[in-house]
Parts: sequence; structure tokens; C-alpha cells
Amino acid sequence: MLQSIITQFMSGFSVVAILVIAALGLAIIFGVAGVINMAHGELIMVGAYTAAIVGKLGGNTFIAIPVAFVVVGFLGLIIERGIIQWIYDRPLETLLATWGVGIILQVVMKLIFGPELYYVGAPKILEGGFRMIGRLPFPWYRLFLIVVAILLLALVFYVIFRTNLGLKVRAVRRNRAISGCLGIDTARIDMTIFAFGSGLAGIAGAVLAPIKSVSTTMGFPYAVDSYMVLVLGGVGSLWGVLTGAALIGEAETILSFIFNNVIGRLLVFLFIVIIIRIVPRGIFGYYERR
Amino acid sequence: MPELVVGDHKATETPALRSAGRAERRRYRAPPFVPLWALIGIAAAVALIGTYPYYGSNAYVLSLLGKFLCFAIFALSIDLIWGFAGILSLGQAVYFGIGAYFVALSLKINYALTHPTRYGGKFPDFMEWNGLTELPHFMTPLISTPFAVFCALSVPTLLGLLFGVITFKRHIYGVYCAVITLAESLILQEIIIEYQAYTGGFNGITDYSNFAGPGFLWFILAVVVVFLLIARALTHSRVGTVLKSIRDNDVRAEFMGYNVANYRIFVFCVSAFMAAAAGALYAAWVGIVSFLDAGPVFSIEGVIWTAVGGRGTLIGPFIGTFLVKGAEFFLSGALASWWQIIVGGLFIFVVLVLRDGIVGSIGNWIRKRKRGTTLHQLIEESDQKAHDRQLEWRPGGPPPTDEPVR
Amino acid sequence: MSTTRRRILQTASGGVAAILASGVAPYGFVRNIVKAAESDTIKVGILHSLSGTIAIIETSLHNAELLAIEEINAKGGVLGKKIQPVVEDPQSLVQVFAEKAKKLLLDDKVAAVLGCYTSASRQSVLPVFEENNGVLLYPTLYEAQECSKNCFYTGAVPNQQLDDFVPWIINTLGRKKFYLIGANYIYPKETNREVKALLQKHGGTTVAEEYSPLGSTEFSTNINKIASSGCDIVFSDLVGDQIVAFYKQFREFGITAKDIPICTPITTEQEIAAMGPENAVGHYTSFNYFQSVDTPENKSFVERYKAKYGKDAVTNAVMEAAYFQTYFLAQAIAKAKSTDADALIYEGLPGQEFQAPQGKVKIDEKNHHTWLWARIGKANEKGQFDVVWKSEDWIRPQPWVPYLYPNKACDFSDKRVLERVKKPWSQEKNRSGTIDL
Repeated sequence: MLQSIITQFMSGFSVVAILVIAALGLAIIFGVAGVINMAHGELIMVGAYTAAIVGKLGGNTFIAIPVAFVVVGFLGLIIERGIIQWIYDRPLETLLATWGVGIILQVVMKLIFGPELYYVGAPKILEGGFRMIGRLPFPWYRLFLIVVAILLLALVFYVIFRTNLGLKVRAVRRNRAISGCLGIDTARIDMTIFAFGSGLAGIAGAVLAPIKSVSTTMGFPYAVDSYMVLVLGGVGSLWGVLTGAALIGEAETILSFIFNNVIGRLLVFLFIVIIIRIVPRGIFGYYERR
Repeated sequence: MPELVVGDHKATETPALRSAGRAERRRYRAPPFVPLWALIGIAAAVALIGTYPYYGSNAYVLSLLGKFLCFAIFALSIDLIWGFAGILSLGQAVYFGIGAYFVALSLKINYALTHPTRYGGKFPDFMEWNGLTELPHFMTPLISTPFAVFCALSVPTLLGLLFGVITFKRHIYGVYCAVITLAESLILQEIIIEYQAYTGGFNGITDYSNFAGPGFLWFILAVVVVFLLIARALTHSRVGTVLKSIRDNDVRAEFMGYNVANYRIFVFCVSAFMAAAAGALYAAWVGIVSFLDAGPVFSIEGVIWTAVGGRGTLIGPFIGTFLVKGAEFFLSGALASWWQIIVGGLFIFVVLVLRDGIVGSIGNWIRKRKRGTTLHQLIEESDQKAHDRQLEWRPGGPPPTDEPVR
Repeated sequence: MSTTRRRILQTASGGVAAILASGVAPYGFVRNIVKAAESDTIKVGILHSLSGTIAIIETSLHNAELLAIEEINAKGGVLGKKIQPVVEDPQSLVQVFAEKAKKLLLDDKVAAVLGCYTSASRQSVLPVFEENNGVLLYPTLYEAQECSKNCFYTGAVPNQQLDDFVPWIINTLGRKKFYLIGANYIYPKETNREVKALLQKHGGTTVAEEYSPLGSTEFSTNINKIASSGCDIVFSDLVGDQIVAFYKQFREFGITAKDIPICTPITTEQEIAAMGPENAVGHYTSFNYFQSVDTPENKSFVERYKAKYGKDAVTNAVMEAAYFQTYFLAQAIAKAKSTDADALIYEGLPGQEFQAPQGKVKIDEKNHHTWLWARIGKANEKGQFDVVWKSEDWIRPQPWVPYLYPNKACDFSDKRVLERVKKPWSQEKNRSGTIDL
């Protein structure tokens, strides 16, 4: 019994990792630019299909990651230049516009690839698992996901807090007008941020494809989960992403074990709604003056 | 002192005003409660739709007409809070769904009493194959359909009150409100799917007698007209004016002394009531409800219809719903995939270009021809002028004059 | 966007909207004229999900039916007319199934509909067919306990599938401790009831019973429970996308088919193709038909299917039923010499026979179900099934499972039933052929 609990806890970590990977791209876009990107799920989906194509061409997940980053980042760039740049001052309407983008992406992918599921395999080296404390072997691939999550968090932290670009991004986030006056090209920063966030979503898709099925409608649940993570953990803070993901991931896993899948998810949702009633901006939310 | 009426506000003439040029003064009549063009248009539409059963032969189109009307009422409820009060709620389907489920459950329970299931039970079949042996006690009051209708209308309204108080009193609005309401819609959807012994779950509630027919169509049309009148009364009055000012700048409204939270809660409750009524009518007309009717996708669709038709107008939601859903019907089949792309493009288009929707844009165009400015420009110019006046004022000089806006 | 540009775009779009609004109305009229002109074809509705969580398997049903229609048309059609398929995509959503069924029956006025996969979808469309007196041909295995006047069931019922499968697992595989896992709707719940009754009869035990919502793909918790439960076989009624996720994660956690095999009446070559053969090796499925069945009809069928849909396409039992039910429909229209629903229901369809890829099949004269063969297959590394057991003869369908409902049967030749189902809808809404013995 104890072994089962420990195994649950460990797979909970992998669920947390999945949430972190999925939510990071959205956190950056939402946190910095204030854009609600309802197409985030579809960007992940495009990343997953990119990984599928890379797989067909003979590559594996390790190659798919940078490819997906570039492809989906580029897609994000197009979306930003074409649509988002006109509506930064109307956050609610970015929601609608990106929802439209999401629909278009879904249908276009369906027309190109067909509605059936795609099979994306994990790299051979990561197959199987290792026996640790729990009764079941812990899959290598899930450990890989945890590693990827940590790496991505570290990468984003480094970029935002230790580079010049990150400095400019933080300045623009604090006060766009003054940053513009100081000579920072805010349009370029917005572009970069959106592309970077989209690229991260692409990586998420490439990395998550082998464990779940790849289809044109796979994106929505990831988008929902990402929003829950952000809303709970707080927008504009990396700690928020980690905390939100950790709370949701572990709670869902443990509750699913005790009750069942659906009740677990339900309780987590209720928990989120209650928490955000108390702390509206999320646990680590950035409280800015309106 | 002659009274000047500017838009919906009345302003008394000051000495400064009197000395302003004659070109600056304009006498406006307040817009009538129901403009003539609206009266004729709505009467024509009601006649056209209501008499369809007599001149039209396609039973499927008849069922669609009733459905679209229910959707249009739903869109109107979204328009009330979004177009007039500036609250974007992505969970409006919660109220629609609860209203629909109450009525559907009642009708299903009554249907099951006279039509036993395949195993002979006199209660809904979905309860039976989920392992229940008889109707749950807490559901027996639903046998009375009037009571169910009462619940269908009151429970969502109370829920709206609850949500409104929790959300608006804590000054959560804008983006966060949208996401939170989205979460709530998802929760309801999951609850419906999980507790399938009581709600029919993933399959929804099907196979109960529905009321589709000419008489019920007239009833739905009557409800539509009543709601339009209520909405017009709401938006045309002082309350409506305050709501519009809250939509445009809620901090300013707060500083002018209006309790923004209370106004928002009030309009949110009215909107929840309307959505619940739409759901109740829908359940009775269509004969099948499922978790989809309570979920975020449906909520966002409602927002889209409103946006396309014109938020901030009252007939906009109707036009938008009929246009989008009607085209979907015509272009189904092989063109269905392409239609989805067009719908997606439509959202983007409406957000970027047709900012006020179809009806709104037509209204702008007419207004521009009459007064030379659109609603947006009116607001922007008014803000700009106020701003300029403040900057131009020198300490010790006369206070900024209050010119009527052209 | 600058104000001028926006204004120009707004004017233009206003114009376009006006044109569209005015043009949509005439389009409706044109469409009606076009429809009237198509009266020298026989319209048949095809109602299978081409998107959503069940699309993985339902698209193959749609493909098989289109192939059959093509072949029938190539041989001259039926009654001198070609069959025209009217395809609708209900997107795996039960509510949309009901809407599209209404559209097919009332708007397109099809002669019959070939449709549905999940029992949930069938149950939501059946009232539409019963109210409007349409004909539905349903190709999927299901939990039985049903027979509607307006539906013909060409898929397996439990006595043609489970009745032999469960004893085979207990006796031949030697596994007695069953872990039941399924999707959360009527088919798995009823099937598990039947399985439990069979287990009691043949000496097996149920270790646990679990249900997962349709479309959910996270099974690590369930697999953990399976591993710690002490069962030695998993009986799965998962459906659609779930199958792929479950098998993949099962293997990911290191459980092999030798330790705990997954036995299911649902997983087909289609899902195996989507998950990759290595995830399915060694697990068992019970079906009437497998792609590897060795009959001349099947060889030709597989060839023709691959010729039309690509050499990587696979066939499976449910689409084979979809294929031969299309032939049943064509033969029925020819026999009844009309497309009228009552003619098809009372004269055309009952008793129809066809040499299907699985063997000879026949619609029973009395109960609207089909005589089928039973087989059990073990998945191999090529993504195909090795047939490890086959029934000696075709099996008569029993829509009411005898060990659960010994005093019910389905009989449309019974006078009481005929009297009831021939009444108009306003007087009598019960279209079932069930009688108490």
C-alpha cells in the first residue's frame, strides 16, 4: 500500500512536470504582454504534429524539440504580427481573436493530416523504466519530462532575469510608456515574447506527444490546465507557475488515487475556484495598480 | 433656463454655455423607447418566423428556428452584461445549462412515468443503467413541471447573484473574471458528466417528449419580445446610462458616486435570468440536452454571435446568431470544414475590423451620416476634449467650460 | 490600424455582409431546386464521427460504407438508380448525432441511415428514427437488451462474443481474477454486468470495477491500482482514444501481456495501428472478424479496401459489418422494390443473407439482429491478430441475454408486437419488439 502511494507521488511529479511544460509558454505571453492566448492549446498541437513529422522523417524526440521550437515560434510570430499587434489595448478581445486563430489552426491541421490519431514514439533510449521504491518501474520518459521541466524553468529564468533581453522585457512589463521613452523598441519586445512563448508551447507539444495521443483536438485540455495553473499560481511570476503546477498536479494525482479520476479533477477545480476567490490574482500574482 | 439634452444626459445651460456660439448648441430629442424602424422590423421578423409552420414544409427548418431563437435569447443575455456593462463572462452557459437541465429532467421524469424503460422501470432509463432502483428522493418534486420551471428560472438567478457578489464585490473583472467564469463553466460540465446517474452524463438527457410545434414557437417569440422590451427598458433608463458609463470607465463611475459593484451584480442577475429562460425553452423545444449546453465552448459561441451581430445593440445578438448558425446549416456537409475556417476568420475579422459587429457598424454609419461621428469617436473625442480642457486651464483662470459634444 | 484603413475595411465588409445576407436567401432556394433535381438517385445517410474522440474507429466505418456503395453503383445501382451517400459528421458528440439524424431524415429525406458506433450515440438517435419512422442500420457490437422496430443491428450481441470469450479466458488461459475497466457509459456498464454473470457461472472472480470518462487519456493511477490489486487479467471496455492511451501507458509501466493480458471485445486493428503494434503484442480481442481471417471473400475485400484507402489501411470487424450491412440495404431495397421505410422493415431486410468476409451472415427473420461467427484473436508484432479460436458455426443472435433475462425475447413476428408498432406515433411510442415469455 505504501509502495502504491509512493508510486502515485512520483507519477504526481511527472504530472506536475507536464503542467509546467505546458503552462510556461502561456505564462510568459500572459504575464508579460497581458494577452489571453486561447490558441495556446492549438500551438501545443502543432508542436506535437511537428514531432510526428520529424519522427516520420527519421528523427526522434531530441531532434523534434528544437525543430518544434522554431516552427511554432515562427507561427507565433506570424500570429503576433498579423493579429495581436493591433489589439494589445483590448485584452478581452485578444481572447476572441485568438480563439478564432485556434479554430483555424485546428481545421487546417485536420485538412492536412486528417482526423485520425497519430503515433509518435518515444526515443528508444528512454523506453522502459527503472525500479525504484515503488512497486512499478518508473518510466524513464516521465523522468525525462521532469528533467525537461526543470531545464525549461531554468532557461526561462535565465533569459528573463539574467540577460539584456530579459531586462528589457521586465521593463516593458512594468511600464510600457516609459520604456518606450527610454529607447526600448516595445513592438519588437512584444514580438519576441510572443514568439518565444509560442516556441515553448511547441516544445511542450513535441515532448508530450509520445505519452498521449496526437490528434487535432488534443490541445484544448492542455490550454485549460495551463490557465488553471496560471490563475492559481499567479500571473507574471515563475514561482507562480511552479507553485500552481505543483499544487494542481499533486492534488489531482493523489485525489484520483483515493477517489477516481473525475472526482479528483473536479475537486481540484473547486479548490482553484475557492482559492482565487480569496486571492484573486493568484498566489504569487503580480499586484499592479490599475 | 432652457434645458439642453445631450445624448441621454440632461444638462442645464450655464452662462458660459449661453455665450458659446450657436453652432455649438444642438437640441437633441431623447431616443424613443421603441424606434419606428425597430417596431416595424421586429413585427415583421416575428410574423415571418411565427407563421413558418403554415407556409414552410420542412420540419427540420422549423426545429432550427425555435433553437436559434433560444440561442439568440442566450446571446442577448451575454450582450446585456458585455455590451452594456463591460463584463465578459465566459461561463454564461452555466445558467443556460442549469435552466435546461431542470426542465429536461422534469419532462423526462414525467415521460418515464408513462413510458417504462426497457427493463420496466417507471423512471428515467439513464438512472436505471447507472444502478439506481428508483427515482432519487430529492428529484421527486421535479415531477411537477411548473415547479421545475420555477427552479429553472430561480436557481440560476440566485447562482448569478452569488457569483456576482463574490466576484464584483472583490473587484475582480476584466481578464480574471473571464478566466474564472470559464473555470466555473468547466466545473459544471465535469459535474454533469461525472454524476451521470442524476444528469445523464456524457450522453445527456434524451428521448423525452418535446413541445416543438407552432404553438410553442409563438410562445418563444412572445418571450423574445418581452425580453427585448425588458432589455430596452433597462438600457434606456438611468440604470442603463450608469451601466454604460461603468463599461466605459468604471473608476470614473465609482468616483462619481455610483456603487459599481451593485450595478454589475444587478445586471448580472438579470442576464442570468434571461440565460436560464433561454435554456428552459431550449430543453422543452429541442428534446435533448447534454453537458455541451453548460460548457465553455457554448459560452464562447454565444459571445461570438454577440460580437458578430453587434454588442451594445439589442438586435445585434439576434442577427449574429441567425447569421452564424444559419450559415452553418446551409454550408454543412462537405463544406463543413471550410465553414469552420470561415467562422474562425470571422472572429478575427470582427475583433480587428468590425469592432461593433454588423448592427453596430450599420448604426455607426447611420449615426455618422446624421451627426458626423461614430459612437467610438464620440467617446474618444469627448475624453480628448476633457483632457485638453484640463491641460488648458491655468491656475487662477476661469474653470473649464462644459461644451456640448458635437 | 489607422482610422482611414479601418473605415475602408468597415465599408467594404458592410457591403460584403449585405451581399452575403441577400445572397444566402437565394442560395437556399437554389439548394432546394438542386435537391429536387436529384430525384433519380437513392439517398442513403452516413452518420459516423469523422472528428473527435471516436473518430479513430468511426472513420473506418464511413470508409467501408463508401466502398460498398461504390461497388454497388459500379454494378448498376439498385432498382436502376445509383445510391448517393449523404455524409454527416457528428463529431463524436451525442447531441450532434441526434441533430444530424433529424437533418438526414427530415431535410435530406434519406431512405435509410448507416450509422453510429457507441451505444450512447445509438440511444440518442433512436427516438428520432422511431418518431419519424426511419431505418437505422447499426454495425457495432453492443450490450443488447434492445430491439427497436426502426433499427437493424449487424454487430455482435453478447452471446456471439462474450459467451465464448470469458469461459475461454478462464479455461484456456487459466486466468480467473478479472479487473474490469471501462468507459463511463451504458455499453461498458452493461457488458460488465454480463461479464460478472458469466464469471459467476464459470468460476472466475471480479477483483475490481472502474470507469473512466470518455475521452480521458490519463491512466497512470488506474494502472497503479491494477498492479497492486493482484488480478491476473484486465478486461477492458475502454473506447476510442482511451484504448491507445491505456495500452501505451500499460506497457510504459512495464507490465507485459504475459504478466497481465488485456482482454477486450473492442480493440481492433485500427487502434493497434494508432498505438503501434509493440504496445498491443500478446493481448487478446474477441470479434467476429479479423483482417487475418482466411476466406476468399476476405482476401478480395482487404485488397479492394487497400486499393481505395492506401496500403497501410487496415480492416476490422466493425467496418466489415458496416460493409456488409450496406449490401443488406441494397438487397433489401431491391427485394421490396421501394425505399419506403415500412417496406424495408417488414419485407426487405429480415432474412437477408450475404457472403461476408467473415463467412455467411444473415439478418434474423424475427429479431432484427444478425447471425454472425465468433472468433478470438491474439495480437502479433505486425499489428494483426492470430486467430486462436473460432466458432464451429454461425451463431443465432439473442438480443436478450438469457442468463440475465430468461423471460424476455425479441420477436417482430409476434401479433402483439406487430399490433403495437403499427400504431401511429401519436398513439403509441413504444417501438420495441420485446415480449415477455
